[in-house]
Amino acid sequence: MSLVSTRGAARPLRIDGKLVLKLVVLAILGVLVAAPLLRILFETLSPGAIVAWSDVTSGRLARNLLWVPLGNTLILGVGVACGCVLIGGFLAWLVVMTDVPFRRTIGLMATLPFMIPSFATALAWGSLFRNGRVGGQTGFLEGLGLSIPDWLSWGMVPTLIVLIAHYYSLAFTVIAAALATVNSDLVEAAQMAGARRGRILMGIVLPVALPAVVAGASLTFAGAVSNFAAPALLGLPVRMQTMATRLYGLIEVGQTARGYVIAILLIAVSALFLWLGNKVISGRRSYATITGKGGRAKRFTLGNARLPLFAVAALICLATTIVPVLILIASSLAPSSSALFSNWTLHYWTGASNPSIAQGQAGIFSNPFIVSATGLTMGLGVAVAITTTLIGLIVAFVLARDGKGPLAGIINQVSFLPLLVPGIAFGAAYIALFGAPIGPFPALYGTFALLLIAGTAYLLPFSVQTGRAVIQQVSGDLDESARMTGAGFLRRLAAITVPLASRGLAAGGLIVFVKIMRDLSLVVLLFTPTMPVLSVLAYRYASEGFTQFANAITVVILVISIAATLLANQLQAKSQPWLKS
Amino acid sequence: MIRIENLVKSFGAFNAVDDISLSVPEGAFLVLVGPSGCGKSTMLRMLAGLETPSGGTIAFGDRIVSDGNRGWTIDPAQRDTGLVFQSYALWPHMSVAGNVDWPLKIAGMARPERQARVAEVLTMLGIAPLATRYPNEISGGQQQRVAIARMIAPRPSILLFDEPLSNLDAKLRVEMRTELLRVHRATGATSVYVTHDQVEAMTMASHVAVLNQGRVEQFGTPEDLVRNPATAFVATFVGTPPANLVPVSVLPRERAASLPAQASAMYRPEDLSVSAIPIEGSLAFDFAEASPVAGRTMLTGISDSLRITAVVDAAPRFAVGDKVHFVLPEAPAALFGANGERLS
Repeated sequence: MSLVSTRGAARPLRIDGKLVLKLVVLAILGVLVAAPLLRILFETLSPGAIVAWSDVTSGRLARNLLWVPLGNTLILGVGVACGCVLIGGFLAWLVVMTDVPFRRTIGLMATLPFMIPSFATALAWGSLFRNGRVGGQTGFLEGLGLSIPDWLSWGMVPTLIVLIAHYYSLAFTVIAAALATVNSDLVEAAQMAGARRGRILMGIVLPVALPAVVAGASLTFAGAVSNFAAPALLGLPVRMQTMATRLYGLIEVGQTARGYVIAILLIAVSALFLWLGNKVISGRRSYATITGKGGRAKRFTLGNARLPLFAVAALICLATTIVPVLILIASSLAPSSSALFSNWTLHYWTGASNPSIAQGQAGIFSNPFIVSATGLTMGLGVAVAITTTLIGLIVAFVLARDGKGPLAGIINQVSFLPLLVPGIAFGAAYIALFGAPIGPFPALYGTFALLLIAGTAYLLPFSVQTGRAVIQQVSGDLDESARMTGAGFLRRLAAITVPLASRGLAAGGLIVFVKIMRDLSLVVLLFTPTMPVLSVLAYRYASEGFTQFANAITVVILVISIAATLLANQLQAKSQPWLKS
Repeated sequence: MIRIENLVKSFGAFNAVDDISLSVPEGAFLVLVGPSGCGKSTMLRMLAGLETPSGGTIAFGDRIVSDGNRGWTIDPAQRDTGLVFQSYALWPHMSVAGNVDWPLKIAGMARPERQARVAEVLTMLGIAPLATRYPNEISGGQQQRVAIARMIAPRPSILLFDEPLSNLDAKLRVEMRTELLRVHRATGATSVYVTHDQVEAMTMASHVAVLNQGRVEQFGTPEDLVRNPATAFVATFVGTPPANLVPVSVLPRERAASLPAQASAMYRPEDLSVSAIPIEGSLAFDFAEASPVAGRTMLTGISDSLRITAVVDAAPRFAVGDKVHFVLPEAPAALFGANGERLS
């Protein structure tokens, strides 16, 4: 009997469990990720809508619809990337490689701004620097009698500053992690060769850290071009449009086809730069494999520059963490943001409706709508955390078990696709797909389910990453020894993998929860009055001029996010290798 | 030549190097050997100028390069030394040739000279074909050669090695020992080599300093150390296999008779014989292991915390659980006091 005939006989009878699992995973990813993105593309290609492409790119309105917003978007992207790499890189160098005082504190504070939502920082900026140009309350500095010029109050400059203040911690984290792997032997070997400090920095330290610098730049670029909150709060009042705000405006006024075209172009811009960054990094050789004893970290002595540099770092850290939070809290208590620290009242928190204040709006804790929105937002965060962690774990498991072949390749690519898609464009895609009934399924627009699956899909890359880390930790020998006992896949998952991985999974889930709590760009288009989400409420209040309410809601979001983040750090015993001395 | 006088290095209250003095002539191969934490790497880093001594002086030839008493040290680059790191510390973003070239560039050498020198040292170490490769594309042994090439390219007159072979497998380690000695001879430079492996010390050194807890236990030639150990620590640290140290209190009465009760007696493995039954001058141990060594047999027995090793021409076949009777010679080869000091 030949081998071939045995195989031929066995194949049709046996159901390949691995293949089935892969197909199921692929189907889930298809519905969650691929379908909305394809749908938004086909929507713009339908005979009635295809004209939107020429309207947007070359029509009479093209300048206002696309080219000016695109220009603003690119200025923001490049400016933020440069600013973040400079500030983040500077702080990373200070914390990892020098003898600056309070290194640990600086290292910790530099990671915090990313946990503060960008609309919080933008609101805080407004409370400080707002001038009378667009009417409404003026900010604290005008209240002190200073005259704030328009360029510092509205438009490009404040948007740039707020986005840099938000995203630099991303660049810091990436660069600090890379610098921490620069073996101190490498620097000492250069010292032995007689290189001076500047030469060592330019010749050894920077080239070795270059991949991280590029990664930091492309990540912050992608973040800045997709950010909605900062340009919407600081740019829109003076008609500065970015692609994200233009997309939002078009969808809001019902020009969906044009909006979708902008969404597709926004995805292209963001993806292009992430791809370019990745290309630059992977084109170089990986340096991570060089290891050795390298224990004793020898730090650059800063000498006389020690205190001035520390002062600069402390100023950056304080201005981007404590200051905005304090301003938000103060402004939620002060009747007038031009006098942040006088006449404090709890009205905006707990007061009952009073026709003489804020058009009769009750304080946020006395407003049943906001209270229910708080519950809903937290419920959404928990639900998304559970579903996305679960799906992420399954995807990671499938990939870890058999990561070869075209199917696994597609699963891998599709699961990381949302990383390239700005949240607001993703929201638009979900409206395109689920805004109308599909066959027997009702339209999901305005339901909890839509928010849930959009959030799940959006955070999938993150949860797959978590799942991978967790599985790497427990798979291999441990799983194989359970297989030797004859336990099946699900049994092993329940008895071995999940118990061992639960801490990591819980931490990952909490981070997902936080990301949903403070997300604005994804949900801003999916928001309906029946499904109120806190961040959108804050944004609406702010754009209607009720800054105290907006700031109070933002403080609530901050408190919940920070508590959950601290809990997550506790669970992971988060390692920050650059803080070890 | 290298002259070290009263060298001290303290980290807080802890003296990593505690009053060390020694000197070696030009062209010597000095090995600093000792267990981990004995201060040998700190010594090397002070020689390299990467650490400033807390006290004492280091002189290369007539020139004092580090003075701990006055708290200054000449910059690493100005000392005419080269260092091979344990991790090799190859710059990962430079090719093999680039790694060797960069220090020459820093030293201000002209391009044609540099190219010639790089080619020369790469050829000398047999890695010329790898010139355009990057450090993570070559094996550990090849990385080691690149690190050596990079060190010798500027022609330093003192070569420093920080446990350079510890990341290599056993066979490669033996090859690289020969290679290092060849480089040492070819450059004529004075070498200082740090290791915890006494075999490396015994095979490579012209001078050995055995370090323990920041102090020199003994300084001399390899033959000196084995033939004439100054302390109990040295006696049990050097030699393959090292000598046996037996407290006088556990010796058989006929052997202990003339010895001081608090002392320990040293017996060389080759001076012992074994017996399956107790005889005069024998001491009973549990059989631990036996292995053939160059046509002879190396036998090890244990008894409580005591280990004893003998190298004999022929031995009965023992199995685990058997008693082995090690027969001690009439007189021990040396005698050490309670604090490890040599008595006779």
